Amino acid sequence: MTLSAAFRRFAFAFGTTFGFLYVVALAKDLALFTVFPSLGIVLAGTHHSRDVADPAMGFLAPAMYWYGWAATAALGALIVALVAASLPGRSVRNFWSGWVWVIPILSMIACVYLTLPWFRL
Amino acid sequence: MVAVALLGAITHQTLATWATVGTRPSSFFGRFRSVPSARFADAVVVLYAISILLGGIIYLYFRVDIRPELERAGHWPALGFFDLKEHFAAIGFALLPAYWVCWRRPRADEPAQTRTMLTSILAFVIWWGFLTGHVVNNIRGFGA
Repeated sequence: MTLSAAFRRFAFAFGTTFGFLYVVALAKDLALFTVFPSLGIVLAGTHHSRDVADPAMGFLAPAMYWYGWAATAALGALIVALVAASLPGRSVRNFWSGWVWVIPILSMIACVYLTLPWFRL
Repeated sequence: MVAVALLGAITHQTLATWATVGTRPSSFFGRFRSVPSARFADAVVVLYAISILLGGIIYLYFRVDIRPELERAGHWPALGFFDLKEHFAAIGFALLPAYWVCWRRPRADEPAQTRTMLTSILAFVIWWGFLTGHVVNNIRGFGA
């Protein structure tokens, strides 16, 4: 097993898995951490301003989830990619390389669907 | 500057990738094809990484200073487009290792379609980010 072949499996598995996990994190609101930029604090897990303050005061502590969603997806994809990299080459021979662009395209379409409420306001 | 360089590199590479083999060498697309596209891969990866790092820093200020203004003004579609920019940028970032492998360590039995599609997805993500960023940046001037 060459380093190049292992890295190839890592790269393809990471790219394929990340898109899927990102959509799951976005749909289920699974942020690994939440950033409150105006307060300069980062809390582990998903926290909504309305959970800790009056909803009318939420604008004082806007929460950011994008970093947390990306971290959730990256962590999951990293684990899958490391497993894929450690597998012998013959075990992933039947993996269609096209998944690495099909899954991200489907993930982007899913992101559009999840963002549609913004366009109905 | 980083975003413009990235835009130029990925656009050049994408057009060269999609240009048909039979294109006349003296034509516009023929000249695109004559430049080795693989050489752009390293630059695209580095510039994309720098762009997303800088964007991630600026995003903190956007969330506190700009976004509340846009919400108060009811620019909901613009915020929707901006959210899509975030999502697409993250998905594109995760594709960089596979994109780099396809260009710099190509395998003989690998279909060229994979490389073409990865490059096209990145081009779409980068153009979307560029255009959305500019629209949101200039939105206060619209209709003024």
